[in-house]
Amino acid sequence: MTSPLMVQFLAESRELLETVSEQLMGLEREPENAEMLTALFRMVHTLKGNSGLFEIREMTRVLHAGEDLMDAIRIGQLPFTPATADTLLEAMDFVALLCDELEAHGEISATHASTSASLATALRAPLGRATVATAQAGAVPATVESTGSIRGMRRIPADVRDDLLKRLAAGEMLQWVEYTPEAECFFQGEDPLHQVRGISDLIWCDVEAATEWPAPEELNAYHCNLIFRFVTTASMEAIAEHFRYMPDCVTIKPLSDSGLTTADARQDGGGDTRGDITRIRIDDPDLVALIAGQRSMLRHNTAALGLTGRIRAAASTLAACLHSVGDMSADESLDAAEAASLAEGSGDALVAWIERTFLAEGSAALESNGIAVADSGAHPRASDQPHLAPRESAEPKAARKAEEAPPPQRSLKVDQAKIDRLMNLIGEIVVAKNALPFLATRAATVYGSRELSREIKAQHAVINRITEEMQDTIMQVRMMPVSTVFQRFPRLVRDTSRALGKDVHLVLEGEDTDADKNIIESIGDPLIHIVRNSLDHGFETPAERVAAGKAATGTLTIRARQETDRVLIDIIDDGKGIDPAVVRRKAVEKGILDQAGSDRLSDQAAVNLVFAAGFSTKDVVSDLSGRGVGMDVVRTAVEKVNGTVTLESTLGSGTHVRLSLPLSLAVTNVMMVESDGQRFGVPMANVIETVRVPRMNIRSIKTSMTTSLRGRVVPLQSMNTLLSLASPPRPNDHDEYATLVVRSGHESLGLLVDEFCGTTDVILKPMTGVLAGLTAFAGSALMGDGSVLMVLDMKEIL
Amino acid sequence: MPITFDQDEAALIDVASVEEAEPLLAWLQDHKDGRVNLAACTHLHAAVLQVLMAGRATIGEFPDDAGLSAWMTAALSHEASLPSTTD
Repeated sequence: MTSPLMVQFLAESRELLETVSEQLMGLEREPENAEMLTALFRMVHTLKGNSGLFEIREMTRVLHAGEDLMDAIRIGQLPFTPATADTLLEAMDFVALLCDELEAHGEISATHASTSASLATALRAPLGRATVATAQAGAVPATVESTGSIRGMRRIPADVRDDLLKRLAAGEMLQWVEYTPEAECFFQGEDPLHQVRGISDLIWCDVEAATEWPAPEELNAYHCNLIFRFVTTASMEAIAEHFRYMPDCVTIKPLSDSGLTTADARQDGGGDTRGDITRIRIDDPDLVALIAGQRSMLRHNTAALGLTGRIRAAASTLAACLHSVGDMSADESLDAAEAASLAEGSGDALVAWIERTFLAEGSAALESNGIAVADSGAHPRASDQPHLAPRESAEPKAARKAEEAPPPQRSLKVDQAKIDRLMNLIGEIVVAKNALPFLATRAATVYGSRELSREIKAQHAVINRITEEMQDTIMQVRMMPVSTVFQRFPRLVRDTSRALGKDVHLVLEGEDTDADKNIIESIGDPLIHIVRNSLDHGFETPAERVAAGKAATGTLTIRARQETDRVLIDIIDDGKGIDPAVVRRKAVEKGILDQAGSDRLSDQAAVNLVFAAGFSTKDVVSDLSGRGVGMDVVRTAVEKVNGTVTLESTLGSGTHVRLSLPLSLAVTNVMMVESDGQRFGVPMANVIETVRVPRMNIRSIKTSMTTSLRGRVVPLQSMNTLLSLASPPRPNDHDEYATLVVRSGHESLGLLVDEFCGTTDVILKPMTGVLAGLTAFAGSALMGDGSVLMVLDMKEIL
Repeated sequence: MPITFDQDEAALIDVASVEEAEPLLAWLQDHKDGRVNLAACTHLHAAVLQVLMAGRATIGEFPDDAGLSAWMTAALSHEASLPSTTD
């Protein structure tokens, strides 16, 4: 799995799969949205095409079936139903599973083959009804094929034919080759034209469309629709060797003069009248081939045995064709023609009917399928080009819009490691730049050159501006919209609420709110957990809701917005809320706190107990949530990225969970403090305020120190004690202690330090290697003067 | 640049790869009267060829390369001589 192509394939597939799910869900709301249908079809098609690159048959098979189904829906043969969505979603999940397996093992285990087959069958099941005609078409190719080479030879112009006949007469060995590349061959890296150009000694060559070209706006350029024919003097073995990788696509046979003359005879003979009653236009090349096949069968087998059966089969096929184009107007005349044919014991009546009904418009197409009369010589006339039916010409505008190549992408896909490296480098520049003021000071004090000092400072200002801009830009690069996380929710909510028998409407707001990639990635799982909890525990069943006087459909709102340097994500449900009494009882039962402690808590504090480790209110472990891991996982995950989570709940009317996250992890704002002659950093996120507490205001209760701040009792701790430093805290000249009030859970705590040294932005590097064991520190940062600042992890040391 | 697109002419130069098929198709759709110049083309991918065929491209000049020219003449000459019936 080291191939970069594979890596890209997997990344793209995942992206596509996400979008496919999104579109499917969208379609469930508005099944008629043609734009979405087309987009969906294209995505499934792209996925299928990509999967073909890697010979992942299981995946291709399912996607192919999915593509067929989507195609049928897109052209209106089938309606889009929730059941269809379910099948397609299931198929997409399967594809995602295969992607995961590919990534993990580099291959797909054979056990998936049966799942793949059953999924493909399920996908194709609804197609069964819609494509009676296509199913029957299976019998036709044989007819077309047998006449194929003769048809091909007919395209040899008269002068060339004469030349060929002369050469044959002279005893030259000539080979007739017809090469029909597989439709998907471009995806296997083949270039059929290159292939045929490898043949030397060509006497005559020809390229033709295998089926009529669609209108340019509907052309799929990557679906090979070509037939190559040529006559060469090269030996049969040499040709077979040349096409050894595609034996199924090539017909090689020695050219004989009889073959040539047969083709000639057919070309000259059998002029026919052209029906001028235009009744039904058939544009689908498959149908045209099918009808042509019936016509040919009826014309050429008049004397054959089993004619009655043939006539009946042809008539029912033709009826199916009519139905598939939605035109029943000719049904009666078809029945009459069938009866006439049967009575006469010849297919003529039906042939006449075909010509009457389909020809004129379809004649060219019928002819080009090689079965009909050929009055088209070497130069087919303009009228022989397939006409576009009005139905089609009305469509291209819309179709073209969808087919038009999307505007060139202005964005680049860059490996995150490169961005991280760039950011580290910028971090180093910031540090190096910060050394300049020190240098300026030295220039003035040590070397006595004030002028140089001034110049260095001026230069520093310039570099400072640029680096700040650089830092800002790289932050922007790392920003991602929260929609990347949000887009999972429509599917999650839909599936989960269905599984639970609940009716929930999801509202997403502020999806374009940006935050650092790491932050966005870290909140995915917590958010899913919250949403699942909400669906599982929060929402009532429709019946319960109605009984409680609410709308049967619940509303789950997920809203993101930016507030200064934080991103706030609210998950609001209008379910039954959390009962503080239940939470209190549970907390006591689980030994999270004692009865007295639980009674003291306010209702709001009580509901926040759900974030305590090991708390789960639901007794039955369900498939969805309530595995006992509960909300403490959410809290831990959010706190890991310096975020906070709060919960408000009103019994009976809903719950509101709020995640507050920093915009970016890259730059940490720290407060620098000095204690026992050393400098430490404390993340500003933890700092509530800085105060100077006079020694006389400190009260000792047993061994603990406290003070009162604006009427509240704040416990005090000496930083030195926490860090196991021996010396006592040092007061300033006015006998005041520098006190840093920090957040510790829901309480505040005063830390006695020796001095405050201001705040600064640092790029926090986590501790690595041996130092990683020092949990007291969140990381280190390099200061402008080259010194290292150790940043404390307040959660650990308190 | 294997294909240069001009106001009324698309010129294929050297080898036109499979990637050129879609841009060329788009150009042909936007320039119904545009001509395609194959003079400097030494090879074009079959996907490009079928775009030219399906798009009923008017071929301004056939390839100088004799081998390619034979195939191109076979594939494109009669199509090109026909008036377009699609519009």
